[in-house]
Amino acid sequence: MKNDVIICRCQEVTEQEIIDAIRDGASTVDGVKRRTRACMGLCQGKTCERLIERIIARETGKNPAEILPNNARMPARPITVGLFRDKEGE
Amino acid sequence: MQDADVIIIGGGIMGCSIAWQLGKYGKRVLVLERKDVAAGSAGATDGVVGYHTKRPGPQMDLAVASIAMFRDLAGELGENIEFDFTAGGMQPAEDKMQYDLLASIAEEQRTSGVDIRMISGDEARALEPNLADDVYGALYCPTSGKVNPLKLTNAFAHAAKRGGAVIQTETEVTGFLIRDGAVKGVCTDRGEYYCDTVVNACGSWAGLTAKMAGLDLPVTPRKGQLAVTEPVDFFMRATIQCALYNIIKFRPEAIRDKRALKLGASLSIEQTENGGMIIGSTREFAGFEKENTFEAIDVMMKRAIRFFPALENVDIIRFFSGFRPYTPDGLPMLGETAALKGFYMAAGHEGDGIALSPITGKLIAELIAEGKPSYNIDVFSPNRFLG
Repeated sequence: MKNDVIICRCQEVTEQEIIDAIRDGASTVDGVKRRTRACMGLCQGKTCERLIERIIARETGKNPAEILPNNARMPARPITVGLFRDKEGE
Repeated sequence: MQDADVIIIGGGIMGCSIAWQLGKYGKRVLVLERKDVAAGSAGATDGVVGYHTKRPGPQMDLAVASIAMFRDLAGELGENIEFDFTAGGMQPAEDKMQYDLLASIAEEQRTSGVDIRMISGDEARALEPNLADDVYGALYCPTSGKVNPLKLTNAFAHAAKRGGAVIQTETEVTGFLIRDGAVKGVCTDRGEYYCDTVVNACGSWAGLTAKMAGLDLPVTPRKGQLAVTEPVDFFMRATIQCALYNIIKFRPEAIRDKRALKLGASLSIEQTENGGMIIGSTREFAGFEKENTFEAIDVMMKRAIRFFPALENVDIIRFFSGFRPYTPDGLPMLGETAALKGFYMAAGHEGDGIALSPITGKLIAELIAEGKPSYNIDVFSPNRFLG
């Protein structure tokens, strides 16, 4: 039953779903992400990325250091759309 | 010894769709993918499956045939692809000039028999209550839909595998084996694979792949920048592009704002099934440079608030970008090249690849398996660029 453990809290992705993604061909964090939505939530993988790397390494026998991480993008933390509003335009 | 009847290069939405369809004819298919399934543009876009964003003429006719296939697609593929057939597509206009331009484009689009109509600002707000109070009017297409492009690509890949296709990822094509003007195999960083039929389904990279076969085919990347927000409660159902989207695409000479034209920037927005809003987008020629730029983000976000003031307090969690495979005449390249026997193109759909993926798979498979597609695709022949 340990495979019911939630790995990505933002998107509620379980360990079993991640293992299934790896069996479907995922060999990188982005590969798992595209198949399960893990890392797509509010924290953008800050919590689960390391865990996913380790699961991929365990399932594929690769060295954890060789697993490609999630492709990092702006913003570093969430920002509101309103931040871009024209100040003088109001 | 042949490794496959057909080798498809590219495990994106086109390659996987074609692989699935070829399996129905009992063809042994090998898909060679440089990275991973859906690692390119299908995982870096929105999911508009609409008529109203299509170029009037042959591309619209192709879209009509493709969107008809979406009706049964989830059932055939056996997976949820988050397809909403009647989400609707809308393009709000800020003033009469934009409205009239949209109306004239819509008139041409309607020659393909699609329901694209012009509605008032009040009618638009009745359909999408979060739309700004001062929107002048809108183009509306009630039968345009939306889909989850990642789920669709993965579903094509799973169905292809069930049909016998082998999808080999992390395999980069480095050249071709050619004899007497015909393709005989594919060279990769993992060795050579022999076959008489190769499909170039490399999207924005299709021009580079064709070059390895000695073919000069103008498919180049056009960058589209996007943002995704935190999931929010129901906000909108239609896929919405501001009027500039179609005007930049079909009447660029009418755009006076130089920055908007250079970036190809207009608002394109939709809410996905999980609640996140995808906000875009741009059409930029920047090679394979994929970083987000502040200039583009600034234009897109300002337009988002201009049309949807209630987005003000919604959090953006990620900016991203994808490459749209651009061709000089805005039409995809579909079919066999005359210069190299057995070498087929299935690329160059620019921003319409998601919507056109089902029909592309079907027609290319028919062409390869039966020698003739059920729908005339001569106008899309790659030979139009091969003099």
